[in-house]
Amino acid sequence: MKTHLLAAVVLATLSAVPAFAQSKLVLYTSQPDKDAQQTVDGFKKQNPGVEVEVFRSGTTEVMNKLLAEFMAGAPAADVLLIADAVSMERLKADNRLQAHPGADLAQFPAGAYDAGKTYFGTKLITTGIVVNKAAGMKPQSWADLLKPEAKGQVTLPSPLYSGAAAIHMAALQADPKLGPSYYEALAKNGATPVRGNGAVVTAVAGGQKMYGVIVEFMALNAQAKGSPVEFVFPTEGVSAVTEPVAMLRTAKNPVAARAFIDFILSKPGQELAVSQGYLPARKDVTPPAGFPNVADLKIMPIDVAATLKSEEANKKRFADLFGG
Amino acid sequence: MNGERLALAVLFCAVAAISLLPVLRLLQEIVLPAGRFDPALLTRVLGSPAVWRATWNTVVTGLGGAALAVLAGGAAACLVTLTDVRGKSLLAFGFMLPLMISPQVMALAWLDLFGPNSAILKPLGLAPAIGTRHPLYGPGGILLLFGIEQAPLVYLAVRAGLRAVPAELVEAARVAGSGPWRAFIGTVLPLTMPQLAVGGALAFVANCGNFGIPAFLGIPAGYPMLVTQIYQRLNGFGPSVLGEVAALALPLATIALFGLLLQSLIGGSGERRMTPGRQELRLWRLGRWRLPVEILWWMLLFVVVALPFAALLASALSPAIGVALSLGNLTVANFTFVMLEHAATRRAFTNSFTISGIAAIILATVAIPLAYFTILRKVSALRALRFGVEFPYALPGIVLAVAMILSFLRPLPLLGFSLYGTAWIILLAYLARFLPLALGPVDAALRQFDPKQEEAAQVIGAGLTRRLFTIILPAVAPATAVGAILVFLLACNELTVSALLWSSGIETIGVVLFGLEQGGDAGSAAAVAILSMTLTIALMLVLDRMARRFPTVIVPWRA
Repeated sequence: MKTHLLAAVVLATLSAVPAFAQSKLVLYTSQPDKDAQQTVDGFKKQNPGVEVEVFRSGTTEVMNKLLAEFMAGAPAADVLLIADAVSMERLKADNRLQAHPGADLAQFPAGAYDAGKTYFGTKLITTGIVVNKAAGMKPQSWADLLKPEAKGQVTLPSPLYSGAAAIHMAALQADPKLGPSYYEALAKNGATPVRGNGAVVTAVAGGQKMYGVIVEFMALNAQAKGSPVEFVFPTEGVSAVTEPVAMLRTAKNPVAARAFIDFILSKPGQELAVSQGYLPARKDVTPPAGFPNVADLKIMPIDVAATLKSEEANKKRFADLFGG
Repeated sequence: MNGERLALAVLFCAVAAISLLPVLRLLQEIVLPAGRFDPALLTRVLGSPAVWRATWNTVVTGLGGAALAVLAGGAAACLVTLTDVRGKSLLAFGFMLPLMISPQVMALAWLDLFGPNSAILKPLGLAPAIGTRHPLYGPGGILLLFGIEQAPLVYLAVRAGLRAVPAELVEAARVAGSGPWRAFIGTVLPLTMPQLAVGGALAFVANCGNFGIPAFLGIPAGYPMLVTQIYQRLNGFGPSVLGEVAALALPLATIALFGLLLQSLIGGSGERRMTPGRQELRLWRLGRWRLPVEILWWMLLFVVVALPFAALLASALSPAIGVALSLGNLTVANFTFVMLEHAATRRAFTNSFTISGIAAIILATVAIPLAYFTILRKVSALRALRFGVEFPYALPGIVLAVAMILSFLRPLPLLGFSLYGTAWIILLAYLARFLPLALGPVDAALRQFDPKQEEAAQVIGAGLTRRLFTIILPAVAPATAVGAILVFLLACNELTVSALLWSSGIETIGVVLFGLEQGGDAGSAAAVAILSMTLTIALMLVLDRMARRFPTVIVPWRA
């Protein structure tokens, strides 16, 4: 038994080493450029010899790029790090994902990852409101964005681009108080969409809009760097995504893909995420300063199956309401 | 003779395959989706109010921008050609910059200049109040930048027209007692009308296909245009809407075809009338008004060209968005990030240089025999093909990209692999798109070439290859190099084609710039924009040098 194990380890090492020596890993991600670069650098420090190529865009665009590649019969990605679990569920249903049963999940709460171990939540990213400090009204709730003071002053990311925005739309529409008419009311109040969350922070920090719907870390990071903005956790609650990581069944470099997942889930990987201003998924890593206690956050629930089904219709509705 | 036939056949097939096949595939998708005529998709897409709104917006801003370009470009051409202002070639060089610098860089620079945090306007108290919508977002800003970017195009057309006006006619009018204004309105203007119209029409077609400006000024404003709608639908809904997107391309393709026909009808005749090397007409001697006019023009150029780029530089040097730039907090962190740390930007410069470089070399190589057979040998099959190769250039880049995806998404028959997701699809798109740019200067050089030289060589028995290498090549080499540099310059600056065709590892400069801006990293985006602009100006200076050295070389701003 022992020799078997030893042989297996030696074999694995032998087969892994040459693959590692000059191997290439292709990462598709929705992380902002700078964060993605740091994630890759952190991974490479622990896995020297692996070259990492990154395709970065909003989650919706990353997914559609993948779909096009599936049609071309040549998916390029080995590993995905995208905003939301719903997109991962879609890929899982199409049998596109490969399980990583060896992932070390001891420090993760049970709900953070797929029970079939095909994808793993890496963070908690909530969507709230960013406010320019010069704004007259300081909104406390999602409903406040419909007030006359906010007319023409709200900008929001598009679900046609961002995965967090797609989940956010599903969560708000499922909320009993806000409901499906909320987005119509937003459009009537002159809210304008931009593509991603990054453009929201540019518009609000740059003073072109007073209020923005945005993922919390971008707003808090901008605030920390001295931009004139602050972040509000609205009273109705925040929507949340988990930025899951997963490898494709067709991964050309499964060894490095598993190593990448392991790195993202490892303590150093999660500490890197904290240094970038993210709320980590691991229990033994301290959240970044300035965050409220996770237990105190009111997270608006979504129904994954229903969200999957309504996704296309939601995107169409958004495109019709806001144009583009 | 047989060898020559074979060479011709190979040339014809290669050029036709690269330039025409994707366009035909697009046409098939629109007219015969799934192999048979089915108007349902077309009526559904073209019947949608959102599409009509986008078409309307495209036409309105396109026409408005063209009108502005006609005014500015026409005035500049008159000033440079008909008056005695000084420093004309420098003036023309500066005026040409907005056309050569990529639209996304222009858009970013103007956004920085007129934003609430403008490093230039804020200290003067002229920046828009915080919380107001960016003044350039929406139709007004798009129209303005369209006009500024396309004014050089009108300038070139009108200047060619003005130089073709027979000086005798003007003199006759002056002798008969007309003042300069009477002579201008009665004689010069009517004769230049066709060029003014062509310039305006070309500007309109270019505006309708422009992606960089609507992407930066229209998308954030929720102002839909056809190009951005195609881009957003394909990215937001995925390959299942390819057919729908192809139908969306139909209005744009029609506009492009209209521009092409108009250009071949009027533009061709204008070129033939031009007699190079003739003395220019000086309608106005400005006298004591010369200095004020010069100062006014330089100030205008300063506002339109220099100020936006100063604001862009300020953004690139600023530590964070919304922070006022001062000598104390000035940082090169954005530049070191994009040049040293951000692997995608470094890769993008390598990719753009490599793909554009290969495209430039291939196109220069093809341009010589293609121009030779059409201009000197007047092979009729090639002359027809020459009309076709203009199409991928006239077509909006985004439509060409859709055509490329349609053609190459599925694995290639027999070979079993797909070009989609590789650098090859971008290279093929560049080859199709920029062939006319490579051909232009070679055509011009061959038109000045005396065919007797070649005939003499033929008489003493030199074969085709030998004649091409020993006689044609030396005569057109500088012009070919200019064509290649133009291809390289425009391919490095493009975003429209690669925005839909790029993949991990094959980013282009335009793609990373767009990505950084969309990702909220305005400082790094500004840094990439500054680098790209520096490259553009450097290449333009190289072209300028070449034009001074070789008489056969004509670069736009020295024409």
